[in-house]
Amino acid sequence: MSNYGHPLRFGVEVLGTPEAPRAAVQVAQVAEELGYDLVAFADRADDGGADALSLASWTAARTTRVQIAATRLRTTMRPASVVARASASLQLLSGDRGLLVLGPGSTPDEVVVDEEAVTVIRALGDTAGGRASTSGRHHRLVGAETGPVVQRAVPLWVAGSSAAVAALAGRVADGWMADLDEVGVAGLAALNTVLDRVAADDGRDVREVRRSVTLTSGDAGDVDALVALVVEHGVSTFLLRVAGSADSVSQMRAFIGDVAPAVRDGAERALPPGALSARPVRRAGVLARRRPGIAYDDVPENLAEAAVEPGDAAFTTVRSTYLRGGDPGLVLRPRSVQEVVDAVGFARKHPHLPLGIRSGGHGISGRSTNDGGLVIDVGRLNDITVLDAASRLVRIGPGARWRDVATALQPYGWALTSGDYGGVGVGGLATAGGIGFLARRHGLTIDHLRAVEMVLADGTLVRASEVENTELFWAVRGAGANFGVAVAFEFAVDEVAEVGWAQLAFQVPDPAAYLEAFGRVVAATPRETTPFLILGQGVAQLMAMVDSADPDVIVSQLQPFADIAPLVQQQVVIAPYATVMNMFPPSEHQGRGEPVSRSAFTREITPGFAAASADLIRSGASHWYQIRTVGGAVADVAADATAYAHRDATFALTVMGADAQRLDRWFEPVRRQSDGLYLSFESDSDPQRITDAFPPSTLDRLRRLKAQLDPQNLFRDNFNVTPAHDDSRSAA
Amino acid sequence: MSTDYGHNLIFGTFVTPANHPVHQAVEQAVVADRAGLDLVTFQDHPYLPTFHDTSTLLAYAAARTERIRLSANVANLPLRPPAVLARATATLDLLSGGRIELGLGAGGFWDGIAAMGGPRRSPGESIEALAEAIAIIRGVWDTTAPGVLSVRGKHYTVHGAKRGPAPAHPVGIWVGAYKPRILRLVGRAADGWIPSLQYLQGGLPDLIEMNRHIDDAALAAGREPRDIRRFLNIGGQFTTSGRGFLQGPPQQWAEELTEVALTYGTSGFILASDDTTLTRTFAAEVAPAVRELVATARGTGRHE
Repeated sequence: MSNYGHPLRFGVEVLGTPEAPRAAVQVAQVAEELGYDLVAFADRADDGGADALSLASWTAARTTRVQIAATRLRTTMRPASVVARASASLQLLSGDRGLLVLGPGSTPDEVVVDEEAVTVIRALGDTAGGRASTSGRHHRLVGAETGPVVQRAVPLWVAGSSAAVAALAGRVADGWMADLDEVGVAGLAALNTVLDRVAADDGRDVREVRRSVTLTSGDAGDVDALVALVVEHGVSTFLLRVAGSADSVSQMRAFIGDVAPAVRDGAERALPPGALSARPVRRAGVLARRRPGIAYDDVPENLAEAAVEPGDAAFTTVRSTYLRGGDPGLVLRPRSVQEVVDAVGFARKHPHLPLGIRSGGHGISGRSTNDGGLVIDVGRLNDITVLDAASRLVRIGPGARWRDVATALQPYGWALTSGDYGGVGVGGLATAGGIGFLARRHGLTIDHLRAVEMVLADGTLVRASEVENTELFWAVRGAGANFGVAVAFEFAVDEVAEVGWAQLAFQVPDPAAYLEAFGRVVAATPRETTPFLILGQGVAQLMAMVDSADPDVIVSQLQPFADIAPLVQQQVVIAPYATVMNMFPPSEHQGRGEPVSRSAFTREITPGFAAASADLIRSGASHWYQIRTVGGAVADVAADATAYAHRDATFALTVMGADAQRLDRWFEPVRRQSDGLYLSFESDSDPQRITDAFPPSTLDRLRRLKAQLDPQNLFRDNFNVTPAHDDSRSAA
Repeated sequence: MSTDYGHNLIFGTFVTPANHPVHQAVEQAVVADRAGLDLVTFQDHPYLPTFHDTSTLLAYAAARTERIRLSANVANLPLRPPAVLARATATLDLLSGGRIELGLGAGGFWDGIAAMGGPRRSPGESIEALAEAIAIIRGVWDTTAPGVLSVRGKHYTVHGAKRGPAPAHPVGIWVGAYKPRILRLVGRAADGWIPSLQYLQGGLPDLIEMNRHIDDAALAAGREPRDIRRFLNIGGQFTTSGRGFLQGPPQQWAEELTEVALTYGTSGFILASDDTTLTRTFAAEVAPAVRELVATARGTGRHE
């Protein structure tokens, strides 16, 4: 007698009729509506029936929630390597809803072929190595490129009622499927024993293999028998076999409506409380890649399913950020506020580990990943909702990307100034400042914030605005990362019709002279125009947005910039803000190494600032020198109104290099000519930098609040404001 | 000289099946569908992990589109056994209401195919295998034929397989081919021919001799040359001033493609495009203009 703790799932297996695959996919859609967990399509290769993988992929496009399986795939009929790619595509396109059931191998030879197929599919899915070779008589790889990377490997099950299949499941599969009418309860028990013994002999955890049965409509009504299958034989997935005809729907309705709840109920009463868990059971090879000091088995149940460990398929997609290569020990991916609360609670139990909070993972300083620590990735909290059209109040989750925000607001004729790249996440930028292309006209992103909801270090959820938790509301706008995990923002956004968008390229033989001229032109330019300048050796690129759709206004405000130096390229278009934010397609973060970035504000580009900058550019120590313009509406806000205090700056400089020491040698003269820094673009961990980011009065106020809200300094892997009562900790 | 097989004209796109961003290729198909194009096609290179599995992508894209036809361009036969390919194609044709065609190729990139466990075939073997495959595919689809399907070949053998499913409409088998021997197979056994302009070493005039191989083989097999539709994969850019073939304003494209249609009998133009604007302009400004110019030149105003 055994139960493996797997959660119960109910599905249908559509056998379908050869002529009518449309009926099969309609059954699948009905199954999703009825609340089934799983829809399976049996491959009907032998009798002129439909192709299961085609049905599965079609269904993926027409459903949103249900898991989709291709079952009874005969591996003798097609290359396993192509099945691997097909199932990976199904997984990508469907959002991880795929399941593959191979078999039934009805002869010993066919079972061997199935095993070769599993080996090939697993080898192509192991993307840690670039190429894979496997030996086999029927299925083999000879240096095939592995991949693609998927968030979650497609579960690979085998089907069949022979001891050879049960043994195969025990050796290599994630699940085993048998037809109950064929195997019988006694047969099931015997084969389960075989499976468990083989799995244990191979050093596997017997819980790695899920047990499932398919049922005829006759078997499907006997609740007591089904409960016994759960409790005594560990069956966790029941698949009702249906033909895909008109009768099927009433059978399906009865099974999910009456039988499934009764089976759940009966099983829960018969088993100890909490016996069934959705917690993934990881293979030994995955467990071996765990890092020390993390209580992996204590990850809260609701976070366990989406959590990513170093051995998981999804790890390569979450380990690094835009510019920093990372190797965290655990990435938690909450989907709700409660899950954020639980994730912060888990982090509190690991005070000795680095803790990264990630929204989009685009942060230049790279603090949202680490080595061996925890990451709370709120990327799934990405809703964008208009709360009140009259006041243009919009609620946005921290995991939304600015391109998605821009796209969502465009139909209303609205925009919210953000940064210079649409792939940046909302959370990081909206708790730091937000120096974007509409800054001079509309201010910083934080200047549009009306309320924020945040989970604090002690796990409480608070709302901060001008009328509640006002001190936190002040602090969030410039130093938010120190105080909690933002779970929702409410912004009042601007009416922005189409904008002028210019990209100009110049020949720049004398960078100092160019910079000084640029400074003079900016000073004389109306606030509609916000230019960003990238200066390199001999060349400059200017990107500018003009908040006007009037060609005359656009040209008249841009012309003085075009006159600064000889133009080598120019492009000016009138387009929605969303078009500019969508200029670059989404791409995965594959950062390597450590970013080296420095930031400085200045009120004007003095001859000294220009000369030091020119020396820096000529030195080659920096491969990126960007000046964003601020001032204008940004300076309309008082310096003490928000934690972002550098309201009098006109220019925000960011430089990046490969070597910190070399960059600092050339950057120090520039820093001496400037005043303060923007913490999002500063990667230096020197404690001195915190006093550049915040003036003394702002810093004192932040430290007092930090002492109240995060006295243990849980949120410290950022531009750290140490609690006021504790002067011993460094500001690293 | 001029050749015109009198087919109505088909305009489509050739979309890279990139799997990142995940739904990009699907979205390009939706754009082509909404723009009113006739066809969207995807390459098939199962050895490349940066591409979607083309069969899976076709099914997903078919479910997301409404009226456009879809095809591989072209399916990689050595990694897609013909019976499975036939069943997958027919399944999808039934699901989509007759919108699927079968672009088929004998294979290339043999290192990639062999790495995936597939066969490494000589040019001659690959043509033999293609001929066997076409016979099996047609046999699987033909559910009105008596008895089970048995084909004994050097590369593929089917022994007593149950036929079916039958597709919803007569699915065209369109073969990618360049050399005389495979062109003769096209003339004998295929419904369409898809060369890519970029692989014609002598440019468009190469089509004359290639067409002749197909035409002669068709006649020798008791078929009509017009039983084989002639496609062409093309690439181009819209620019304000003309810089070369399909490098110019839409009107220039229309004139150039009209000339291709009337000179070489090409009746299906498939534009490589992963760009929404390129696709929309092709659909809105080139396709109707070519149709009109060709109709005028044919002097009938008739689209068949």
